[in-house]
Formats: sequence, C-alpha cells, structure tokens
Amino acid sequence: MSRFAAHSFSCAKALIAATSLWLLAQTSQAAELPQRWVSAGGSVSEWIVELGGESRLVAVDTTSQHPASLAKMPKIGYQRQLSAEGILALRPDLLVGSEEMGPPPVLDQLRRASVRVEMLSSKPELPALENNLKQLGEWLGEPVQAQTRFAAFRDDLNNLSNRLATNKDAAPRVLLLVGGAGDRPLVAGSDTLGSWLLTQAGADNVATHQGYKPLSSEMLLGLDPAFIVIADRRINGPAAAQALVAQNPGLAGSRAVRENHLLPLDATLLVGGLGPRLPAAAEELAQAFRPNLTATAAHKP
Amino acid sequence: MSLRLQTKPLLLGLGGLTVVSVLLSLTLGPLNLALVDTLRALAHLAGLPVTASEQAVLVIGQIRLPRTLLGIAVGAVLAITGVAIQALFRNPLADPGLIGVSTGAALGAAFAICLGGMAAPAWFQPYLLSLCAFAGGVGVTAIVYRLGYRAGQTRVGIMLLAGIAITAMAAALIGLLGYLADDATLRQLTSWNLGSLNGASYARLWPLLLIVLAVAAWLPRRAAALNVLLLGESEARHLGIEVERLKAELIFCTALGVGAAVAAAGLIGFIGLVVPHLLRLLAGPDHRLLLPASLLGGASLLLLADTIARMLLTPAELPLGIVTALLGAPFFLYLLIRRGI
Repeated sequence: MSRFAAHSFSCAKALIAATSLWLLAQTSQAAELPQRWVSAGGSVSEWIVELGGESRLVAVDTTSQHPASLAKMPKIGYQRQLSAEGILALRPDLLVGSEEMGPPPVLDQLRRASVRVEMLSSKPELPALENNLKQLGEWLGEPVQAQTRFAAFRDDLNNLSNRLATNKDAAPRVLLLVGGAGDRPLVAGSDTLGSWLLTQAGADNVATHQGYKPLSSEMLLGLDPAFIVIADRRINGPAAAQALVAQNPGLAGSRAVRENHLLPLDATLLVGGLGPRLPAAAEELAQAFRPNLTATAAHKP
Repeated sequence: MSLRLQTKPLLLGLGGLTVVSVLLSLTLGPLNLALVDTLRALAHLAGLPVTASEQAVLVIGQIRLPRTLLGIAVGAVLAITGVAIQALFRNPLADPGLIGVSTGAALGAAFAICLGGMAAPAWFQPYLLSLCAFAGGVGVTAIVYRLGYRAGQTRVGIMLLAGIAITAMAAALIGLLGYLADDATLRQLTSWNLGSLNGASYARLWPLLLIVLAVAAWLPRRAAALNVLLLGESEARHLGIEVERLKAELIFCTALGVGAAVAAAGLIGFIGLVVPHLLRLLAGPDHRLLLPASLLGGASLLLLADTIARMLLTPAELPLGIVTALLGAPFFLYLLIRRGI
C-alpha cells in the first residue's frame, strides 16, 4: 500500500467516523423532537403544514380546514371542547394550539398524562407570529425554515405597505362581513383579525366596535362603505356577494353594492391568529381597493 | 306496561344496572383498556397491593374515575329532584326547570363566561363559572319561591307561573349577554348550555358530592309525607303533614341539588323528567320506592348516555346534553303515545 493510499484510507476512515458521529447526533436530536403532533387551531395547523410538518400530524381540530389535505385527518373536535381521553388515544407527543384551546381541566389532565401541551398566541401582531414560528421551527427541527418563512411574511407585508404609502388614492372606507350564505352577517370590529387584514390592505375599517357583531342593514347603509368584503362560511367566491344582497335587500342602495364593490374573502383566513395565506390575501384586497396600485415589486414569495 | 315490580327485585335490578354502567363507564373509552386492567388499576388506586400499568392507573384515576363519580352524582341528583318537583306540583310531567333553577344557573354561567374575565382575579377564574352558576340557580329559585309565597302559604300555581315568567326573563338576559359577547365567548356559552362531563376533576367533584349526599339522604326521609301530598294539599294538611314546611324543603333540596349539578356539568335535559316517569310506570307512585329507584336509575342512565357521548365521535366527543335529549325525548314521546297520558 502506497503512502498516498494509506493516507487517503485514514482520511476516509476519519471521514466515515465524523459522518457517523454527525448522523448519530442528528438521530439523537431527532429522537428528542416530538414526533406525533396533534394541532388544535386553524392557523397553527396551517403553519405546521407550511413548515413541512404535515407528516407528523396525527390529528387536528375542526377549525383546521386548510389546506384541504387536513380534511382526511382524525378530528379531535372543536378547539375549546377537547376530550382528554380521545387525544390520549392518539398517543401524541405534543398538543399544540392557540390560546383558545381548552377547556383548561382537560389540558391539565393531558399534562398529567405527560403529553406536552403548548399554546401559541393568536394575537394579530407580527411579534406574536415571529415567536410562534420560532417555537414551531424548534419543535419541528426546522428553525431556519421557520425564520425564512417569517421573514418572507414580514417582507411581503412591508413591500405592500411601502407601495401603499406611495399610492396617492385615499384609503377606502371598507366593511368586512362574516356570514353564512349571506344571512345575518357579523361585522368585523376594530380589534379583530379581519380589521388587521383591512389595515394591511390599506383600507379604513368603518366599523369601530369590538369583536364580531351583527349590525342592521340600516346601520350598514349609514356607515356608507365604499367596499364590502364578504367572508362567507358557506359560499365561496362571487356567489357570496349575491347571497348577501339577496338576504339584505336594504343594502341594494348602498354605494358598495351600486358600484359592485363586493369582494369575497375565504372565511378560513380569519380563524385563530395570523396564518400563512394572509399576505397574499392582503395583496389581493389592496389591488381590488386601488386598481392603480403598483404591482408586486421584485420580491416574490 | 301495567306490571308493578316488587320493591326488592326492582331495587336489586337497578343496583345491578348501576354497577354495570359504572363498570362500562370506567372500562369503555377512546383508549382501549381491558376490564381486567380497569379493575387492577382501581384496586391499585384503592391502595391494594396490585400491580397495574402506569397508563391504566393514570387514565382511570385522573380521567375516568372523577368523570364516572361526577356522572353518578349529577344523574342521581337530577332524577331524585325530578321526583321531588313532580310531587310538589302533583304532576308527572313537571321538571326541576319549572322553578327556574336551570335557567338561573345558565344565567349565572353566562355572566361568568361573558363578563368574568374582567371582574375576577386569575386564581379565582377556575371556580368562577361553577360558583356563578350555582348562585344563579339558587338565587332565581329563591325569587320564584318568594313570588309564590302569599300570606304564609306557598301557592304552587303562582309559583309555576312566576317560574315561567322569570325563566323567560333570564333567557332574555342570557340572550343579551350572548349578543354582547364575541364569537368565541358565544361558542363557549353554547357548549356550556349543552352540558358535558368532560374535564371532570376531583376539585369540582367534592362540593357536588357533599350536596348530592345530603339531598339523597334527606328526601327519602320525607317519602311518606310525599305520598300523602299526592292526595292534595288540604288533605295532607288534615292528615297532619306540615305542608308548607315540606314544600319549602322540596324546593330547597331541588335548588341546591340541581344548582350544584348544573354548576358542575352544565345543562343536561330529560334525566329529571324521564327517569322518575319511567320508574313510576315500573314501580308505581309510592315514593318510598320511587326515590331510591330514581337515584339509581338516574345515575345509570346518565353514565350510559355519557359513555355513548364519549365513544361515538372519538377522538372528539359529543356534548352529553345532546345525547340525553336525543335519547330521552323520543322515549318520552313513545311513552306519551303508548300510554296516552
């Protein structure tokens, strides 16, 4: 054996040793990560899928409706009415959900059964989202991916707000309605995720109350919105607008209806905190509000 | 259905049914545990030198046992106070809800759910809902009782009407609170109104168990007087029963018992109506038998309904009030049609 061969042989040995050590470290780290996840909360589940964790999900709650592939998963019920034993039967390592997850006694029972229970903030604020994604990234073993995804989310919104700042049009007066087949719509108040979305899209939410409240057709007329955004839980797309006008004939004379400024919005966007599809939704709304808004700059998600 | 069962076989049968439903409630669940494991875990929990798997001990001890005990207490007290109210109104179709206790408790709960967050300190929050519901149930019943009290006498007819009016008012207030609430709070309110034994814990169990034991010990002592009351109030008075005192006791026991049950588990319908009714068909109107029989029947029916509620949609679960009403109402209709009551 030549010296060169011997040298390369020992190099290879060292390399193999290093590789196997590294692999060992990887697997031991992977073993510490929670493998079986249960997610309770629409946007939480969406982020888990977005960060490549769908294969770890063993069940989700009934608010997790997006993406469509989650529909096939076992359902643990509504996020506020979880059942301890039903979840234990799934042998999860981790139950993750929003602050709305409950009831608290059930969460206590799960903790006592050594299920890790983690709650993420559902506040419609960027710092809350940044923290949520950091946590999810850690638990999934994808910290870099989580960081990149958050940066993209923030940049998309910044990009939009920069273009809105240079746009000369006045902020349109907008109402966001949440309804079922147009019937008895609830109006998104100032502290809601819906209102946050309108602000990001450069609109002025004309509703000033707190939470989601029903308002009469007369009040809606009185607020005189230039646009009405309709998040309908039962009908998607433009049909939702037709249903709204059909169910509330009083609205027919309003500016938004006369000028056909009725915009449908996917109702699953508004459930449980900032979800990954919101920047795109804000962009789409902003384009609809201001037709002469400059198109998306170089950055593309 | 005119068969009248003898006291002993009926009580033995109901006792057997209760034992079976307790075992079913402890053994069945989304997590598969064999009956042997359940019994071993129970023995282990009781301090006997028996080995049991850690998981079985945890599931039985922390989840199923408190839930089963809660089910026994709630079912028993709803059924036995049903008997008391039916005796008070001398009407087999009466329900504890008539004197406002359920709606009062629901109003208390609605206050706690909708406004509790801003008023109470954090350490108190876990108890707030139960305490408000209990206070609401007892408080509204006290108002109804006071309205029916005229010149040293409780007029049952006036109490009934007052109960209807106060119930309507409380329902309107609940509606108002619901209107002011946001979406998530509304959802919580609805789910509370449907009743559930989910998340039972020993901390919430003990106060209820004490009240149920007191009510279950007290009412059967008055069984003979209740039998006489069936003849009519003035007849009972002539036969030496202190009717006013008896009525006050019945209302007090019902307010306390149902108030505590609703506070612990939410609104659960039809147990207080169907169980006494069914047992009256089987055992006749003698309260000496009817009261203990309803106690056992109520406990077993509620446990069976809860087992169904837990098993049907695993890993989620159905609110118990839905199951009892879905099972109870058609059965009640069947009885109505068959017997032509």
